[in-house]
Amino acid sequence: MALNPLFFRKTLVAGTGLFLCVFLVVHLSANCILLLPEDIARGMYNSYSTTLRESPLIKIVAYLLYLSIILHVVYALLITIRNRKAKPQKYVMNHAHQNSSWSSRNMGILGTLILIFIVIHLVNFWARIKLGFGDAVALDVDGNKDVYEVTYSLFHNIYYVIFYTIISVPLAFHLYHGFKSGFKTLGFYHKKGLKIIAKVSLVYALIMGIGFGIIPFIVYLK
Amino acid sequence: MKVTFKIWRQEGPEDKGAIRDYEVDGLTEDMSFLEALDHLNELLVLKNEKVIAYEYDCREGICGQCGVFINGRAHGPHDNMTTCQLHMRSFKDGDTIVVEPWRAASFPVIKDLIVDRSAFDRIIEQGAYITAKTGTAPEANAIPIPKEISDNAMDAAACIGCGACVATCKNSSAALFTAAKINHLNRLPQGKAEEHKRVQEMTYQMEIEGFGSCTFTGACEVECPEGISILNIAEMNARNAKAKLLG
Repeated sequence: MALNPLFFRKTLVAGTGLFLCVFLVVHLSANCILLLPEDIARGMYNSYSTTLRESPLIKIVAYLLYLSIILHVVYALLITIRNRKAKPQKYVMNHAHQNSSWSSRNMGILGTLILIFIVIHLVNFWARIKLGFGDAVALDVDGNKDVYEVTYSLFHNIYYVIFYTIISVPLAFHLYHGFKSGFKTLGFYHKKGLKIIAKVSLVYALIMGIGFGIIPFIVYLK
Repeated sequence: MKVTFKIWRQEGPEDKGAIRDYEVDGLTEDMSFLEALDHLNELLVLKNEKVIAYEYDCREGICGQCGVFINGRAHGPHDNMTTCQLHMRSFKDGDTIVVEPWRAASFPVIKDLIVDRSAFDRIIEQGAYITAKTGTAPEANAIPIPKEISDNAMDAAACIGCGACVATCKNSSAALFTAAKINHLNRLPQGKAEEHKRVQEMTYQMEIEGFGSCTFTGACEVECPEGISILNIAEMNARNAKAKLLG
């Protein structure tokens, strides 16, 4: 029976995308610790990150996460290349804005910006804390790696703060289209349900965009 | 009424093609868009120039033959309308109207504004039919079908295969067309026997014809003259997944 490689690719991009959406919720929730007063936040944040690093369950989830990001990027790229080939000649005049949203037509560009951010973000934190690149991470009073200090010092560099804040805009647009479309790609076609999902998608994208965008600023002002 | 047409002229599939300008006077607001093109062609005949090639048949908005990209929109400036139902009153005196053929790798230009849409026929051939004994027509009420189901099937069956969905889609995806053809039959009891085979083989054909993937921009359902809902594509995905799991 027919293999449907395109169907397979799309399903994979949607599936990994929605998994990453769930991850972002957990990530943002943890970031909220940074909003607490410093004396509470430091201990809590550091013990939380130590728990994450040492839990075998989280280790599996982490590998699943790396795999999801890679598959999401690679298959989205393959789909985009094929989609471009499917329309080799553009229209002289095209008023696409009259029938579709900007974010839905520019998921590739938005995704690329997010990917650039992820690489820089991983260099800032993951490479330093987990792989030990760059300056060694000090220990706090409880003997945990002082991840709070890494975050705090990074977000006292105004350029990083601006970068992290600006990048949350394409993130929000990417999530807004990606979240609601992911369900349709995976075959959810209940009309009323999809209307609710579209609203949830908007709220979700706003919370993620504003949340990830504003926390570096608040830390900067601390 | 006087307008300037900027129309794509292309001698044949191998020709590069280009936009050419035509100033046309003596049009009225009551003329249909196709009548305006007819008028232009008559002027070209009088000047001994080659007429512009474009497709049409019924001019009643039901056959799906006409279809060109007008001022940056499939079938012109209105939502859910065929080219033949567009009238010159939608334009103003002195307007410039850009007319281009559908653009898609799977819809090669044959001449001027005419494209080859036989890729659609090949998708249809893969399963947009049911296997039934020929002979006397069966009794109409032999298979009871709830009204809601027959209505839903009819909504999908309304697709006239004009190709506007492919033309407007930034990925030239044929998902809306293929989904409409699959769901039309898969929703009905008559189509159940071959439902899994149908969805898999038709979507496979859609892929090998070189159409892009659906990224749910929603442009297709805005331009579709029959207002086929994009939810059909989500339903096709569900049916495809079910077919792959159940064989």
